[in-house]
Amino acid sequence: MHKALLLIVILLLSYGFWLSDAFKGIAAGVSIFLFGMLSLEQGFKAFTGGVLERILQKTTNTTWKSFGFGFLSATLMQSSGLVSVITISFLSAGLLDLVAGIGIIFGSNLGTTTGGWLIAGLGLKVNIAAYAMPLLVFGVLCVFQSSKHLKGMGYLLTGLGFLLLGIHYMKDSFEHFQSTINLSKYAMPGVKGLLTYTAVGILATIIMQSSHATMLLTITAVSVHQITYDNALALVIGANIGTTITAIIASFGANIQGKRLAGSHLLVNLLTGLFVLLFVKDFAIIVDRISEYLGIAATDKAMKLATFHSLFNITAIILFFPFINQQVMFLEKIFIEKRPNIFKPKYLDASAMDFPETVVESVRLESIHLYENAIHIILRTFGLYKRDLQTNDSLKQLIEQNNQPIEYDIDASYEKRIKGIYSAIIAFISQAGFTWQMTQSSKLSWLREANKHLVEAIKDTKHLQKNWTRFRASSNQATINEYNKIAYQIALHIQKIENFRHEIESNELPLLSLDILKAAIKNDDMQMNRTIETLIRERKITPETGSSLINDCAYMRSIKKNLLKTAETLFLHGTGNGGVEQQLALNDTEINDIVQPVDTK
Amino acid sequence: MKIEKLFHKLHAFFNTDKHKKRQDIEELKKVLLKLKKKERKIAHALQQTEDCNLRTHYQTELNIIKIQRKKGIEALQQLKERKKT
Repeated sequence: MHKALLLIVILLLSYGFWLSDAFKGIAAGVSIFLFGMLSLEQGFKAFTGGVLERILQKTTNTTWKSFGFGFLSATLMQSSGLVSVITISFLSAGLLDLVAGIGIIFGSNLGTTTGGWLIAGLGLKVNIAAYAMPLLVFGVLCVFQSSKHLKGMGYLLTGLGFLLLGIHYMKDSFEHFQSTINLSKYAMPGVKGLLTYTAVGILATIIMQSSHATMLLTITAVSVHQITYDNALALVIGANIGTTITAIIASFGANIQGKRLAGSHLLVNLLTGLFVLLFVKDFAIIVDRISEYLGIAATDKAMKLATFHSLFNITAIILFFPFINQQVMFLEKIFIEKRPNIFKPKYLDASAMDFPETVVESVRLESIHLYENAIHIILRTFGLYKRDLQTNDSLKQLIEQNNQPIEYDIDASYEKRIKGIYSAIIAFISQAGFTWQMTQSSKLSWLREANKHLVEAIKDTKHLQKNWTRFRASSNQATINEYNKIAYQIALHIQKIENFRHEIESNELPLLSLDILKAAIKNDDMQMNRTIETLIRERKITPETGSSLINDCAYMRSIKKNLLKTAETLFLHGTGNGGVEQQLALNDTEINDIVQPVDTK
Repeated sequence: MKIEKLFHKLHAFFNTDKHKKRQDIEELKKVLLKLKKKERKIAHALQQTEDCNLRTHYQTELNIIKIQRKKGIEALQQLKERKKT
């Protein structure tokens, strides 16, 4: 909340407290209710750490499954706002697509209406404080435990307890309130009343950041006849429009997909709100019919409001759910993604910071972005482009044909393409605010190492470039051939990594198949050194040139090893039989035993 | 059948360590089977080709798979012995 607005709200509340004790009770009831929702949020976060990602991946591969996931999670968490934040975070990190995200939002909108039923059906009819107290006691007991899951359970119990306690205080306070001030004097009939109370509903929900709180106030007020039923309907419409503010705020720190999702949420709720406002009388009749069918008394306005709230969201589903793909096309036209700047981070959004899984995925995607820039630099040093890896032309011929001196400023490229992104990744990882016990922390550590390997590969390329440029201009063909071989082997190695990367889905044993690349690095190194020895012995190159070549072969070996280690971390994410393959993968000694010395005579 | 499934889950819950060992053995067996299939495929390709460079490449790959399988079989034997104790 903006500081100026916060000050105004504090002043207004203080004035209200001075005016009326009952108002104090109502405000306290809402605050306790909202605190309960924060506790629930805290509780659910304790159970993330891979679990949420796995559930999301399994339950959102079709639109209906996404809808179901949204409905269940909003019902359990009693917060469509939290579900929106989770969805936007996962969308920004690329773990969900927009269609699935919109499906989740539809489901969560409907799921959150169960709160209205809870308040109207249970909260106002039973002594809810009697249920709240044991929940609070057991909850606080669990919160003080050291186990992460018990603590999480504690937050869930206290959250639920505070929710019920908040309802209890509000109910009590409204009953006292009506003896001092009769709000029904301010009832407004007709269109003016509809529009005014819709605006009040929107404003109240934006300020409280919770449609549940607005529903609670509305249902409680109508049950004690503080507001008319018609005005209450308008407040509910306003609450459904105002609830989109949570998604809008979450999208500020998100990428274009997050913004599109927030846009979809606002569009759907706003258009449904307008539709319902136009036909509000008809909706009231439908609510009466449904209530009759469900056995709800005609005088039970609270339950009817809960029914109306559900009907609003069912209307949104009927009107817009069949047209999700069209919505996506429309949103992609309105929210156009700016051409990504390859020199700046693409995936490190603030919204991805909310969950460990999204932090890891954002860092992994950004590291792949860094990898793309790194191989561009390495290939350009030898006069090649990434597209040359994909052509049918022989890489060897391309390198040999390009006999002009290649002036490529690696330092400038590093500053432009690598440094900014690398620094942003390091900063992003350091801001990740979860404990070292979580598996995501070790994944971040590997990703940090992978980025370090990339930077080392570029530094080795820079060292190699000096002699590569110098000796390719020499008159000694044998020297030129050997330096061309170095460039060829590095380019071939990058090509093999790219093939591995693109065929990874069909590879049954991806980690173990990297052993052949490791063996190839060793084999190539041995071959090169043997060849250099032979060339020196046959006096085709001087010993000084030979020593430079041997050093540069070492740089070549280092570049290949660093790129392979990076590929292992970045591209083997979640594939293969992870732990088992790691047990069977060969170490350096085993690879040395396999690679046979080559007879170059 | 539902009760059997529930019993199996309860049994796994109370015998987490044994259950994990059994899972590890099953996963290792699957990987060893995949390696065996790969070995046969590469051996066949090696027989079919006459290109010198390709033969060297296939032979190296075959040698690698043989060592990976050897490591896997040793790991499997160790797991089975640990499961017995």
